[in-house]
Amino acid sequence: MTFSLIGRCARTGRLGLGITTYSLAVGGRCEGVAANIGVCKTQAFPNRTNDPLGIKLLAQGYQPKHVMEMFAINDTEHDYRQIAIMDRDGHIAAHTGPGCRGWAGHKEGEDCVAFGNGLVGPQVLDGMIKGFLENPGDALEYRLMRAIEGGRDAGGQGTPDAHRPERSAAIKVVDRRDFPDVDVRVDVHPTAVAELRRVLEEFKLYEEFYRGRDTDPSKAIPQDVFAKELEAKRRVRA
Amino acid sequence: MTYTILGRCARTGRLGIGIATFSITVGRYARSVRSMTGVVISQAFPNENNNQIALRLLDQGFSAKATLEHLKTNDAFYTYRQIGVIDRTGSAVGYTGPAVRGWCGEVVGENYVASGNGLVGQHVVEAIAKGFLAEPDADLEHRLLMGIEAGRDAGGQGTADLHRTERSAALLVHSRDPYPDIDLRVDLHEKAVDELRRVWTEYKQYEGYYRRRGEHPRGAPSQESFMAALQRAQ
Repeated sequence: MTFSLIGRCARTGRLGLGITTYSLAVGGRCEGVAANIGVCKTQAFPNRTNDPLGIKLLAQGYQPKHVMEMFAINDTEHDYRQIAIMDRDGHIAAHTGPGCRGWAGHKEGEDCVAFGNGLVGPQVLDGMIKGFLENPGDALEYRLMRAIEGGRDAGGQGTPDAHRPERSAAIKVVDRRDFPDVDVRVDVHPTAVAELRRVLEEFKLYEEFYRGRDTDPSKAIPQDVFAKELEAKRRVRA
Repeated sequence: MTYTILGRCARTGRLGIGIATFSITVGRYARSVRSMTGVVISQAFPNENNNQIALRLLDQGFSAKATLEHLKTNDAFYTYRQIGVIDRTGSAVGYTGPAVRGWCGEVVGENYVASGNGLVGQHVVEAIAKGFLAEPDADLEHRLLMGIEAGRDAGGQGTADLHRTERSAALLVHSRDPYPDIDLRVDLHEKAVDELRRVWTEYKQYEGYYRRRGEHPRGAPSQESFMAALQRAQ
């Protein structure tokens, strides 16, 4: 049981993944997000070697569809995997093996592919794509967040009789640097998507401060001072 | 304000990091372990490029010490950095620049670097090292977590008058695979080290199940039936 969306910002070329699932610590199984190369995510019964291998293959210049064929050859249990691949130009390949359980499928949208298994139905994928496309001018991390929320609001994981909560969630976005711009996670929580929204919003408040502290520490103010200024602004707004 | 343990298991060659800090989402910075290669951290005013550069240098065969020298000559703000490096042989180095704020420093030994800045005092890093060394035969993730918890219990971050809480924490261990063995995070919490222990305790129960499910999907039990079996066993 998982629902995810990989996407690309056509304006900036940034790439990212938004994911949530019933399993714990899903963000610790998302190695396949690489700046200026592409995104590769294997889920359902995941072959952990797929994603690092997929990134290496994309970096060599192979198309996502060809990478998927290589996965099929390389893996005796390919039928149990659910995989989505996107390269830096937005080319897509997706696979939902017949061994994936519950309602499972994938769907392409503009600059994105939504995929999931153990879901209440195809409306979850539609909800994700709708969320992703809602505000195309937004930063990619917000569009991924809206995608996950759209999937959740469309019913998410489970069956018509039994809903399964999201217990972990993650968003990863890469730009030009070889580490993520945005990398936020919730590892164990009863409503992980709502908690991820809280973490993302807080992170966005600190993002520029953390970047400035890195690139020119001689001008950095102490974090306590920055945090106090944030609190003051919050009080003014409230 | 941060405290960190970098460690290598002499028995297995596994490499890892445990980290806790006042900043949020520290796990974003601390993706700084590479299987069979090394573990590094650049903290205080963290040059984010440093971690990836250092891992590449280690991968090319440079020692921990030579890697640190390269970081020094490559960085105009080197004096603001606090850096630790362990290479795959277990050789470890640490550096704390003179511009790093609050009490700051490190304890370095074979296979480990315990370091921190903005701490209540030197006894915090000493406690981290002691926590890490307490059970040398235990799994590396357990030893790293013991180190971090010892740092918290020794007073952690702040000054003599003012304690600063840990708002995020992370635990990352690599073995031989091209992906982590253990990768757990707490991004935003008022007691992130306590929460990391809770996350680890929960996750540990599922660790083997998640691995087997991926490697042998045919006939793998559903997560619900796995959980029901867990509950029956408790």
